[in-house]
Amino acid sequence: METPPVIEEAVLDLLRSRAPLARDRAELPDDLRLGSGGLGMDSIALVELLLDCEEQFGIPRPVELLEGEPLTVGRLVAHVRAAMAR
Amino acid sequence: MNGAARWAFDGLESGLARWASRQPRWALGGAALLGRTRNRLSRRWPSPDDVRALFPRLDPRAAARVAWSIGGLEARNRVLADCLRREGLDPLRPLVRGALPPLRPPLLLGTFHAGAVHALGPALERLTGPVLALRHGPLYTPRPPVEIVTTEGDDQRRAAVFQRALDHLRGGCFVVMALDVVPGAGLRVPCLGRTLELARGPFALARLTGAPIRPLVARWQGGGAEVEVGEPLAAGLQGEEIALATAAARWLEDYLRASPAETGLGLLRALLSEEVSPSR
Repeated sequence: METPPVIEEAVLDLLRSRAPLARDRAELPDDLRLGSGGLGMDSIALVELLLDCEEQFGIPRPVELLEGEPLTVGRLVAHVRAAMAR
Repeated sequence: MNGAARWAFDGLESGLARWASRQPRWALGGAALLGRTRNRLSRRWPSPDDVRALFPRLDPRAAARVAWSIGGLEARNRVLADCLRREGLDPLRPLVRGALPPLRPPLLLGTFHAGAVHALGPALERLTGPVLALRHGPLYTPRPPVEIVTTEGDDQRRAAVFQRALDHLRGGCFVVMALDVVPGAGLRVPCLGRTLELARGPFALARLTGAPIRPLVARWQGGGAEVEVGEPLAAGLQGEEIALATAAARWLEDYLRASPAETGLGLLRALLSEEVSPSR
């Protein structure tokens, strides 16, 4: 099983592959939003990112992440980490 | 047209909208007549020149008749939308004739802002399977098996709706959404000698799920509305979004060339705002 830092790096790699603005940043802080006001990912890119997480980590697609609060880097990483620990 | 005339036309249209819940056939017919007359008197939006800019093969008299008809179409659609907001689909159901051809899900039905776009609701209720319809803003509450979700909101909200549509198609159901409304970045494709920006969402859904897209339109005919379903759009070997979008625009172009009076004002405005591009 992957260790948490490895998971985090894998999630960030996925993020960089889907969000051009993420590639230009040296760091992706936890509170950085994925959508508007942050990495500017549009609706299709956000869903494709969640599909990537589902496929790469073998976890159920984190549907609930799109509901409620703005999706941030930290929320996505924490969710993937928790789902893999289950 | 002066302010008093505009006021009179607006007042008559409001009256027809209230009457539409009791006598929809007559009220909608009256709205079409009112819209035609208004356009004929004002010779504005669309003007015959606007129509000819898009359909240059029409002679001036034919273009004028198309402009009147578009004026009538818009007035009828405005009255219907107002009636739907007040009364729901009940007054409209008896006016939508015929059954849809046999359609097998998973299937994405793509609409355009052409013809009797608000009259599609009763036809969707006749589909044999769950239907998720995406719409910008609520208009009415449909009966099962149709559910309408709004695409209003920011990208994250739209992503949640997009994800629902994806799951719906993967679950073997129907999804209905407009192809020609662009909330975010769109796909620019040739249409009627211009460039039309289509929404990327439906084509991305088709790519991700493998579900076919079939065009869906309705037109006012006599006192009612008739629904037409196009053949599945050809996706090309790779199923690329741009290839599907180009096929959708080609279908729309053929439909509107055959029936220019079905061009909705929003569509007309979008097309006329673009530079002329080489026609196919």
